[in-house]
Amino acid sequence: MFTQFFGNYLLNKGLVDTKQLADALAVQKQTRPRLGVLAINAGYMTAEQVDMVHAEQQRVDKRIGDIACDMGFMTHDQVEELLSSQGAAHLQLGQALVNSGAMTNAAFADALNSYKSENSLSDVDFKNGSGAKIDELIRKFYNFSDDSRSAYLTEYIALLFKNIIRFIGDDFTPLAPQKLSEIKTELAAVQKIDGDFSCATVIDAPEKAYLGFASRYAGEELTELDEMAHASCGEFLNLHNGLFTVNVSNEMNTELKLQPQEYLEKGSLSGDISVIPLVFPFGTVLFMAVL
Amino acid sequence: MSVETMKVLICDDSILARKKTKTALNQLGVTQVFEASDGEQAIAAYKEHQPDITLMDIVMPKVDGVEALKAILAENPKAKVVMASSVGTQENLKEAIKAGAFDFLQKPISEDQIKALISKAAK
Repeated sequence: MFTQFFGNYLLNKGLVDTKQLADALAVQKQTRPRLGVLAINAGYMTAEQVDMVHAEQQRVDKRIGDIACDMGFMTHDQVEELLSSQGAAHLQLGQALVNSGAMTNAAFADALNSYKSENSLSDVDFKNGSGAKIDELIRKFYNFSDDSRSAYLTEYIALLFKNIIRFIGDDFTPLAPQKLSEIKTELAAVQKIDGDFSCATVIDAPEKAYLGFASRYAGEELTELDEMAHASCGEFLNLHNGLFTVNVSNEMNTELKLQPQEYLEKGSLSGDISVIPLVFPFGTVLFMAVL
Repeated sequence: MSVETMKVLICDDSILARKKTKTALNQLGVTQVFEASDGEQAIAAYKEHQPDITLMDIVMPKVDGVEALKAILAENPKAKVVMASSVGTQENLKEAIKAGAFDFLQKPISEDQIKALISKAAK
């Protein structure tokens, strides 16, 4: 989950724009981090040393790891260790941004180190994500206070991100949250929760992103805005809300009740609206809680 | 009871959930599969088809799954109604078991869960 917030960090620092990020997310899965990015992440080489190794590779016909060893920047054991750890999502994202020219190795190195340092993160955190650190990151990112409603929202969002990673994919980045009193929706699946945490939960997106999200959940390509597309978005919402009510029941000893989902086309919502925009390769999807 | 002659009723307001469950059942050899998209339809479909197993979502329009379960059991106290829901809270479990549910499946339902359920019901 830290990878998703790392994407937002890059946006907030003005290091990439939304389009560059969305393009990188689209190719992230197929991108293998090169040794330079892996070495920067591990702290084995600086961005400057990586650039020196790349420059050397233009002159000699050798593998980049061998050149780094020849130049005394890394040992062969370190090269082997890095080559066996190429699947980390935040590094795939970083490599995709470097490949597209959106970032240099040096800019990526600075951003990654600052992000890790500001959030006290290790590579293990990136890979596994401990619950307490994720909750802390979410509370900080969404600027929640310590009241009881914030506890529900933190639980809701942490679970939402886990469920999106589980059922939709990990190739998304959260944008800055918004607080609104009214919003005009495009295509929306809505489900109300009754109880101590009464609210309407919403997935809202323009058609392309709505169908993209629906297709991912259904596990098949949906191209028509029909009952199946709505059912898919609605079923994700119902599944997520259901698991949320289970957690709340178990951990907070509170029973919440779900209402059947409803669907809106070009509708409007009003109230105390928390908007969580997520950028996917297929477009931006808004997740909302209307209190 | 053999799988080939088994009748299953799927009650879920999501066309996607019904489609996925039906596909899994068909792959297991169950061909007599009926569908209902709300609690009212579920009660009517039960009376019409008398299925061997009824898979019942809880959160549904008109009449919810627990109310439909009670109505079906009033019709046939031996009916095998399996609650299938994402809302697997203690309260829901207690309510469903108290009302006489045969089993409870937490969504998302895997093909393995459906297979185990069919084997259990076939005994």
